[in-house]
Amino acid sequence: MTPAAISHPSAAGQPGLAGSADGRIECEVLVLGGGSTGVGVARDAAMRGFSTVLVERGDLATGTTGRFHGLLHSGGRYAVKDPQAARECIAENIVLRRIAADCIEDTGGLFVTTPIDDPDYADRFIKGCQDTGIPVEEIPVAEALRREPRLNRRITRALVVPDGTIDAWKTVWTCARSATEYGARILPYHEVIAVTSDGDQVTGIVACGPDGEQVQIRAQVTVNATGAWAGRIAAMAGCRVDIRPGKGIMLATNHRLVQTVVNRCDMPADGDILVPVRTVSVIGTTDIAVPDPDDWAITRAEIDQMLEAGENLVPGFAAARALRVWGGVRPLFQDHAPAETRDVTRAHAVLDHRARDGVGAFLTITGGKFCTLRLMAQDTVDAVCKVLGVTRPCRTADEPLPDSQHRRFYQLGSRLAERERTLLDEQLICECELVGRGRLEEEMTRRPSPSLDDLRRALRLGMGPCQGGFCTYRATGIMHQTKRLSAAEADRALIAFLEERWKGVHPLLHGDQLRQAWLDNWIFQGVLDVEHLPVAAPAQQQESATGHAT
Amino acid sequence: MAGLTAAVRLAEAGLRVVTVAKGYGSLRLSPATIDILGYCPDRVDSPAQALPGFAETHPEHPYALISPAMLAMSVQWLKEHVDTYTYVGDPSANMLLPTAIGVPRPSAVVPETMAGGDVRDAGPVVIAGLGVLKDFHPTLAAENLQAATTAYGRAVAARPVLLNPPADGQADVGALALARRFEDAAFRGAVAAELRAAVRGDEAIGLPAVLGIDQARSVWTELQQAVGRPVFEIPTAVPPSVPGMRLARALQDRLRRAGGRFVLGAQATGPELRNGKLVGVRIRSAARQTPRMCRWLVLATGGLASGDIEVDVSGSVSEQALGLPVHAPGPGEIGFLPSYLGDHPMETAGLRVDRSLRPVGPDGEPVYPNVYAAGAVIGGARPWREKSGDGISLSTGYLAADAILKEAG
Repeated sequence: MTPAAISHPSAAGQPGLAGSADGRIECEVLVLGGGSTGVGVARDAAMRGFSTVLVERGDLATGTTGRFHGLLHSGGRYAVKDPQAARECIAENIVLRRIAADCIEDTGGLFVTTPIDDPDYADRFIKGCQDTGIPVEEIPVAEALRREPRLNRRITRALVVPDGTIDAWKTVWTCARSATEYGARILPYHEVIAVTSDGDQVTGIVACGPDGEQVQIRAQVTVNATGAWAGRIAAMAGCRVDIRPGKGIMLATNHRLVQTVVNRCDMPADGDILVPVRTVSVIGTTDIAVPDPDDWAITRAEIDQMLEAGENLVPGFAAARALRVWGGVRPLFQDHAPAETRDVTRAHAVLDHRARDGVGAFLTITGGKFCTLRLMAQDTVDAVCKVLGVTRPCRTADEPLPDSQHRRFYQLGSRLAERERTLLDEQLICECELVGRGRLEEEMTRRPSPSLDDLRRALRLGMGPCQGGFCTYRATGIMHQTKRLSAAEADRALIAFLEERWKGVHPLLHGDQLRQAWLDNWIFQGVLDVEHLPVAAPAQQQESATGHAT
Repeated sequence: MAGLTAAVRLAEAGLRVVTVAKGYGSLRLSPATIDILGYCPDRVDSPAQALPGFAETHPEHPYALISPAMLAMSVQWLKEHVDTYTYVGDPSANMLLPTAIGVPRPSAVVPETMAGGDVRDAGPVVIAGLGVLKDFHPTLAAENLQAATTAYGRAVAARPVLLNPPADGQADVGALALARRFEDAAFRGAVAAELRAAVRGDEAIGLPAVLGIDQARSVWTELQQAVGRPVFEIPTAVPPSVPGMRLARALQDRLRRAGGRFVLGAQATGPELRNGKLVGVRIRSAARQTPRMCRWLVLATGGLASGDIEVDVSGSVSEQALGLPVHAPGPGEIGFLPSYLGDHPMETAGLRVDRSLRPVGPDGEPVYPNVYAAGAVIGGARPWREKSGDGISLSTGYLAADAILKEAG
């Protein structure tokens, strides 16, 4: 396994790219946005031999990508309402199982008719699945309850579909690794401050790097893959893209209440999916139009709505230990926006701004969803080829991602199995998520940023029941040594992580999780006295500058 | 801490005392320093001088009920009752002891094994970690400590060293297991040899607080002799706390010697009433629920951290053992602020008590004339921010016993 060479601005240029010693980079394809879409586009473009650069304002997968419930759709959710999206989902579900097995847990999915659901929907659902090519099988209610004993015993029908769960961060990071192996250059912590143009042609961007330095990137084609932020970037190029940011909140409990993805068998609604992802269960989600993808909050009413919805699927849900709540903003695109964001199609669109706005060499990929990241990338790079007047076939549907070549799915016990092999030889830094010191140090050396939150996304550090109570001090001490940080840098990273963890905890703090928070307060404030560290008030990290939680 | 203090005191006075506890409690997680008042919000040099003013500006704080004399007596009492090793210091002055991240933390009464770390008059120090202990990072602690200044305005000269004594091939050894190893002379000798090689000139040596559990005094003394330099302990922050376990064991041992009983795994689930008077408490132990009769009851069940005060999913706050009224933000009120280091209203949740520490209702009258509260179950404090936790527990435990002894005549 080759560690991903995620470039720091000071690092040497990749083959096929003009260097950047003077803050200038030239490439054929420039991708804006380091979410699933952007990273997918960068990989596809690099695999087709284009010299490719990607810029992202924060760390990879910190926007909408890192804030979803982790559901690998079978397409069942859209089978009745949005057949086009359903067809894309099942096709890509099959592809992802082939190319990203290591990122996927094959949990299977259930659609169940709960007491509050339309009893006739199940028949429409079956027909919708059949029409769109989604394998569906009805099983007796007793069998569903045998598989998932906590399910509401008053369900009346149960349908099995090939849902699964997918680790967004792992997918994005292995995609990025693959892209760099094909020569792409990934620049996290580079925020676009201007789109440059020559006449009616976009020629690239100016980005602001992690140390405030300006980097000029010239490209033959620029791809706007900034999701919910695409309207903002398009406007910098003088183009109009109407994105309706749709906020969805999700809530995690401290263990898996179900082992299968459980959906309510009815038209898509709020809080109708319960996803067993890694060590936790996530219920989601809501859909509320927000004016600004960076500025929104989670309300108590939304949390209560999720708890109530969970109670309908799994009685006792509200009494389970709730770890955390967070939200993400979907990039819903439609030229003529309807009032209800849930009615906007989940399909994606590649916009060539030459046709729409008279601006050349500039494409926007928008809409879509995590599960169709590969297809979105394929369609986008096909459009890039068209702009450049070349024909190069897409190979992403067949070539597995790094770590997925063996085509074995991730299994819940895999970290424990790995741990058992090294029980005496390695320190366990995060007991909740079984993160060993070796993995942690390896990830620290890979990353340019001294951010514990970036390590969290890569390793699930601090994502378990203690929410960083036990691992944060350890990881800070190790990072201080491994990355040769100053004490002030390490202290800032620690305080920023405590603040970041608190964001998703405080809105629903009660019961045992409150006891945990109090223990954590004793650890950090009572015993370590971190509030009197030499560093002044915590520096606001870019990804945590807004009021929401991950 | 509060419960054991009251129990030992009452048992030694000749009362028949039973301590029932759901679990071992937070004392075994505490650094075992008797922090009286460290910040309010600026750093406090002398808790004894600061407390009268603090009590005036914080009328709902437990310290508003503790006289300086009572506080001093409780400290003296503790010093006399921990006989496995010595506590030093008094409420007149805070020491500044380095934490495991290198912050000089104010504390008034501390184990003798820690007092040498006081940065007020610190000379050069070497912070020594052990490679097998993931809960102590000397490099970060030493570098942060360099930012501290002594009482004479000198910067603290601190540098780290990492020791790797033989650990039977294990990479991950916890604080308690290490403490047991330190009681082994061969292991201690290996550590001393590494330290002798690492220490320079007149450096004092800061080690994580894992220097023995049952024989802490002799481990510490012998290590200093073997290295020829002063050694001080720095509390580790992630549970368990070895010094906390030492203190808990010492007090439990005193309780046993005074004829008191300690029943673990027994949870109080409600008052046992006769004609509206509390005559006992219902205890759930194993699968049974049985009443345990008593003339006086000290409720030292801890606060939100221990679970006796609970916030349910709707946000309503209740006291579990006796169903006493809790003063806290209610459902729909703000309990927590968005910033981690903010002053969260829920932090001060707890019982309100009268001058004898009897929990009172909204009318200000005691709910039961024979029930007394001690420790974190009493609201009004922000103990981890104030650095006042074990000071509150010790002094209220002492005062609760005092009130009962007065009643008993």
